[in-house]
Amino acid sequence: MKFKLKIIHWLTLLWLLLIVFQHEVLFQYLSLWFGYAKLFFVDFSEAIDVLSLKLVNVILSLKLFVFLPALYIIFRKKWIFLQGNLNFSYALLSLLIWILIFAPIITDENPEFSKNLAVTKLLPPFSSVKILHLAGELESSQSEKEKFHMRLNQTVKPAFNERIIFADSVIVSESVVYFQKTQKSELQKNELLLKNGEPFIQNKYFLLGTDEYGRDSFARLIYGTRISLFVGFGAVVLSFIIGIILGFIAGYSGGIFDTVLNRFTELFLSFPVIYLIVLILALFGSSLFSVIIVLGISGWMTLFKIVRGEVVSIKQRDFLISAESIGLKKSQLLAKEILPVILAPVIVNLVFLFSNVILAEAALSYLGLGTGNLYPSWGAMINSGQEYIYKAWWMIAFPGAALILTLFAANSSGRRINKIINPRLDK
Amino acid sequence: MEIAIKNSPEKLFIATEKQTGKAFAKRFLTSLITLFLLVSLIFVFVRLSPGDPTKKYVSAQLSPELSQKISEKFMLDKPVIEQYFAFLLNSVKGDLGVSYNFRQPVMKVVWEYFSFTLVFSTLSIFLQIIFSFSLAIFVARRKNTFLNKAVSDFSLFIYSIPSFVLGVFLIYLFSVVLNLFPISGLKSLDYDSFSFWGKILDQAWHLALPLITLSAAGTAMFYKYIKEGMDDVLHQSYILNLRSSGVKEKVILKKHVIPNAISPLISVAGIELGVLLGGALITEVIFSLPGMGRLTVNSILTRDYPLIIGCVLTAGIVMIIANYLADIIKIKFDKRLLKGLLN
Repeated sequence: MKFKLKIIHWLTLLWLLLIVFQHEVLFQYLSLWFGYAKLFFVDFSEAIDVLSLKLVNVILSLKLFVFLPALYIIFRKKWIFLQGNLNFSYALLSLLIWILIFAPIITDENPEFSKNLAVTKLLPPFSSVKILHLAGELESSQSEKEKFHMRLNQTVKPAFNERIIFADSVIVSESVVYFQKTQKSELQKNELLLKNGEPFIQNKYFLLGTDEYGRDSFARLIYGTRISLFVGFGAVVLSFIIGIILGFIAGYSGGIFDTVLNRFTELFLSFPVIYLIVLILALFGSSLFSVIIVLGISGWMTLFKIVRGEVVSIKQRDFLISAESIGLKKSQLLAKEILPVILAPVIVNLVFLFSNVILAEAALSYLGLGTGNLYPSWGAMINSGQEYIYKAWWMIAFPGAALILTLFAANSSGRRINKIINPRLDK
Repeated sequence: MEIAIKNSPEKLFIATEKQTGKAFAKRFLTSLITLFLLVSLIFVFVRLSPGDPTKKYVSAQLSPELSQKISEKFMLDKPVIEQYFAFLLNSVKGDLGVSYNFRQPVMKVVWEYFSFTLVFSTLSIFLQIIFSFSLAIFVARRKNTFLNKAVSDFSLFIYSIPSFVLGVFLIYLFSVVLNLFPISGLKSLDYDSFSFWGKILDQAWHLALPLITLSAAGTAMFYKYIKEGMDDVLHQSYILNLRSSGVKEKVILKKHVIPNAISPLISVAGIELGVLLGGALITEVIFSLPGMGRLTVNSILTRDYPLIIGCVLTAGIVMIIANYLADIIKIKFDKRLLKGLLN
């Protein structure tokens, strides 16, 4: 029998790669997790206090990562899509979802971290700088609480850390001399974190270079993927809900509702959506959720048309009439009788909608109207890259490539799913 | 004169000229209603938005007399309903207040910038149609070859590239690395010293990269529609009949395939104009061109509310007019559509 690559093989490979390359991070997170569990029993109110979005994020990612094999074994009968044959677009899509879930494990850097601009500004890919760690105040008798806090600060990195110094080069003799561009500075050995009596100096590699504020482009790209996909999923779910409900109302009740909703849809379809989005964002301000809501509201029209058409055509079918006569509610009719029938065209539409939303979000961030001011975002990265186009090609190349590949994967997966559902298209 | 169209084997639909006129009038009325709803929607958004809605028309940058005049015109001290009617009336008159940044009536500013966008988009749509058409014909002659498949895949790839990524990439390749084209703007510094033809050449030189950026995605989309239309027609039995009668392949393509494959193109063209306006918005920002898109973005970034409203309204009006024209042209080509419009 010929061996065929399946999606599950690809995911296994990603899982193993993360274990091989990020085992240190994983161990740190594991100890943080156990520390938190301990704190939970020792000091409950403190455990609630210390709970932040970042901590939840790290622990959830870690839990999923650890239990993924077990989950797979339990649900392997249900998750049949994992047995599908692997191709380029499916591989890319699953990689993106992988990044969405496991971003904190893939990179433990904070995407907003910036320090010592002179050294780290606009570094090309694969460049490295030296890190000096300043010694912290050592406390021998620590309570559970303080221990946990220290571990938390070490593991979940904050956006600013005064104990780290980036330097171009370091000379260790009696004292430690380090250079930052043309500036020479000196430190005593006892000011630094020591390891076996020698100062602890690490190399920090910037895989995809840094941006104009010295922030790690790789970390920003990974977290930008998260934001893009989050906005994409959020807006698609919102469009799905609006489109399905309005389409059902229009198709099922007919009459005046149908006419009004149809006119309303045509109104929405007939003016340039991007101008409307821009107007709403300008008037109401742009935050992550306002972007999701606006993009969700602007994308439901095609879904409405599909659902309405399908509902009108199956309104007179026997199965629906019999379901009505049993006395099912309208919401039950929609969820149990109509939705399974029209799911296929709806899914295809949702995939295309997803790619449109990601594109729109990136475009808004590029224009400075999206989420780019608050979170790392591909569009905003390209925008700032354009300012430094003479100096730093990597600032445009990587987010641009990520965006193109994502859209390409979404579009061609949509076409593939469409072909599976409508075999007649594939002549 | 009566035009008879065979709609289906049983029914025969006959459209008189009177009916045609009625259908067009009905379509026009729909456009007007859409326009009215658009204006109302903008008003609702402005009222609903956080902050003092009256401050959306009057800014501290304006002189007290002018502020007084504007607040009288928009009835800002009256109840909401009266404000709404004042807004409607002023929109019909084309008076949308005074832009904070330009200290000029909004419509005057928008009109200045709009003319560029109009020329830019029209040029782009011509380029798109010409390129996609010649590409589709070129590929149709080479059926079942590697080239056919390669062009189709490549067009999907091009369609997936967002305009701003393509634009920035083109700037990097042609302006930064090869130093062939200017990085932004519409005119050279010594533009005034050129002769007439020199001026046109200079503008073309500056517009080359923006036009490629704006047209790429649209070309790929048109190509897809034309190609699908052609493939559809080529599978029809009358083409087989023509072939078996010994008609030349070239004649079949010119006289039978292309006229039949053209109709999806027209129906897409209306929608494409909306895409184009959105694309122009981003392209103008990338290349710092003096168009309406960049005006909109700048007015948003500087919170120039009257100008934002003016820009959105203008874009909406252009879109509605374009949809109307596209529908009319569509009906001219395919009279069967009249029936759907009359019902």
